[in-house]
Amino acid sequence: MIGTVAVHQIRALRRQRILAELVGSFVGITVLAGVLGWASHRTIIGVYEESMRLLATRNLAAPPNPFLLKPKLSQLSNVVIYITLIGALVALLLGHLTVAEDDSTGIGRIIFSRAIRRGQYTLGKIVASGGVLAGSMAASFVVSVIALWIVNSSVPATRDLGRLGLFFGLSWLYLMVFTMVGMVTLLATGRRSFGLLSAMGVWLIVTFAIPQFTSGLRPSQSLNPIVDPVSTSQAFFRLTRRARPLSVAEQYKQLSAQILHTGAPESSSAAIGRLTPILVALGLLVVITFAQVARHDFSRSDSGE
Amino acid sequence: MSSNHVFTLAAHEYRAAFRSRILGLLLAILIAVTVGSVYIASVAHRSQVADYATYRTAALASGLQRIAPSPLAPMSLLRGAFEYIQIVGSVIAITLGFLSVSRERASRTLPLLRSRPVTTGQLATGTLVGAVALLATLVAATAVSGVVCIGVIGNDWVSPGELLQLSLAYLLSVVYLTVFYALGVFASSKAKAATNGLLIALCIWLVIVLVIPQIGDTLDSDNQVPGGLFKALGLNRADETTVLSHFSLFETLRTRIEYVSVAQHYQRFVFAMADVKERYRPFGLGGLLARVWTDLSWVLFWPIPLIAASRRVLRNEPSITQGASS
Repeated sequence: MIGTVAVHQIRALRRQRILAELVGSFVGITVLAGVLGWASHRTIIGVYEESMRLLATRNLAAPPNPFLLKPKLSQLSNVVIYITLIGALVALLLGHLTVAEDDSTGIGRIIFSRAIRRGQYTLGKIVASGGVLAGSMAASFVVSVIALWIVNSSVPATRDLGRLGLFFGLSWLYLMVFTMVGMVTLLATGRRSFGLLSAMGVWLIVTFAIPQFTSGLRPSQSLNPIVDPVSTSQAFFRLTRRARPLSVAEQYKQLSAQILHTGAPESSSAAIGRLTPILVALGLLVVITFAQVARHDFSRSDSGE
Repeated sequence: MSSNHVFTLAAHEYRAAFRSRILGLLLAILIAVTVGSVYIASVAHRSQVADYATYRTAALASGLQRIAPSPLAPMSLLRGAFEYIQIVGSVIAITLGFLSVSRERASRTLPLLRSRPVTTGQLATGTLVGAVALLATLVAATAVSGVVCIGVIGNDWVSPGELLQLSLAYLLSVVYLTVFYALGVFASSKAKAATNGLLIALCIWLVIVLVIPQIGDTLDSDNQVPGGLFKALGLNRADETTVLSHFSLFETLRTRIEYVSVAQHYQRFVFAMADVKERYRPFGLGGLLARVWTDLSWVLFWPIPLIAASRRVLRNEPSITQGASS
């Protein structure tokens, strides 16, 4: 029965052309990140060579090329930002639509006239969303490999492929958190517009507000993959940085930087520590979703406005 | 009489929007993050003001005739607040536009209003005036809380001249938010189901406010290394200009991409007015306006086609709506 609900949901998304749009969005952001990585890489090599010529005319010693120290996977560092900005919003939308259609079209009422338990229905919905996101991440993985191949003119090493796979696995977990937020807000509010905008409110808080309070990152700094470390010497940050482990967006970005080798190395226990809040948030949201579906009144169709 | 109609409609729009729970939630988020960001910046500023006061007292005591002016720019503490207006404020403005349309569709007030001696133009103007008044209230609330935070927490009150610059920045903030309000109205009115229009408006918002400015930043070669590429290579500003002159096509493309975004123009203008960028600090109001007039013009231009399009959609809206379907 779980499989039936999941397959029905995926078919419904495909019929409404939403499935193609969702997968296309993720592939699109990966392509965009690849193109930006390629364009900036080429220009920066040129800028470095031009700078060396300028320094040579003044008989000054040439500093080492700062980009030689950068790992190959760092060319995809923009994907991390796009996942937290666009990907999270698309995931919210996926979660929202997964529940909204059954609620507003009256399909939910018909489904529960059959012998199906609410737990099976919820699990089927979560499996469907997870499957769509997993497919999207797999497509993004393939596009990333091609992008790296083109930029570096060589096939990525097995180790880099493993790291890339790990990164998209982590991204799947992060996006699932927002998919669940999309479901929970709609079930909690009972109205499509209110649910969607509440979910966006959660996204704004997680992506911009919390990192500002815990790490002093301004909203525009949250858009840049390369961020200067923020001084936490202020008494305010000495207090708020204790809450940094709860900042899911920051933990995702830091862990992604570890995986893609763009951040300072950390121990594996520290990496697991960063993964924990994402897993806890996901677990909590899954439990809340099960509880809300169990008591949701599907007989009251919402018009959507 | 017609101005009375417009005023009545505007007052109705203002009150109805204030009653919305979701708008209240988003407003609360904006005010909280604005006050939070100015508080964080002001706490650091306070110690710098104290350091300068100590230096000044010591210099006066030692009989120095020429004392270096304060290098601090209190208005720059509002940088985070302006960024929140740019990102969160624009979402609120879209929401306001969407709620205006969906509320009308749900309550089916358009046929009722058209049965009264109210023209479509008055209806559109009244709704727009009400929404702009609400956006102005929102901006005023963040402005007052920001300026008071700088004075009370940062121990540095802005001067009358600086207040004038800030007023211009906040006035343009209202215009900037009006762009997104008009986008919300247009997209929601055009779509059969207002929620779908909201989604389209949010996608456009994502591209204009987050993706395009991020592309410009990402392609900036200086942003590729923490602390700056040119600093890492030991090059000064003049050297940077010399090196980048060899990449004029790339730099032109990068800036032209940013040109499409009204958010980027808004940011440049308010950052210049609020002394955020050091290169603008030596100039008075006239000098600042001369340098950012193109950004000002772009922000002032965008509401015109969007408001015109929204009015056109409203004029073509059937008197008997088909109800709100998702």
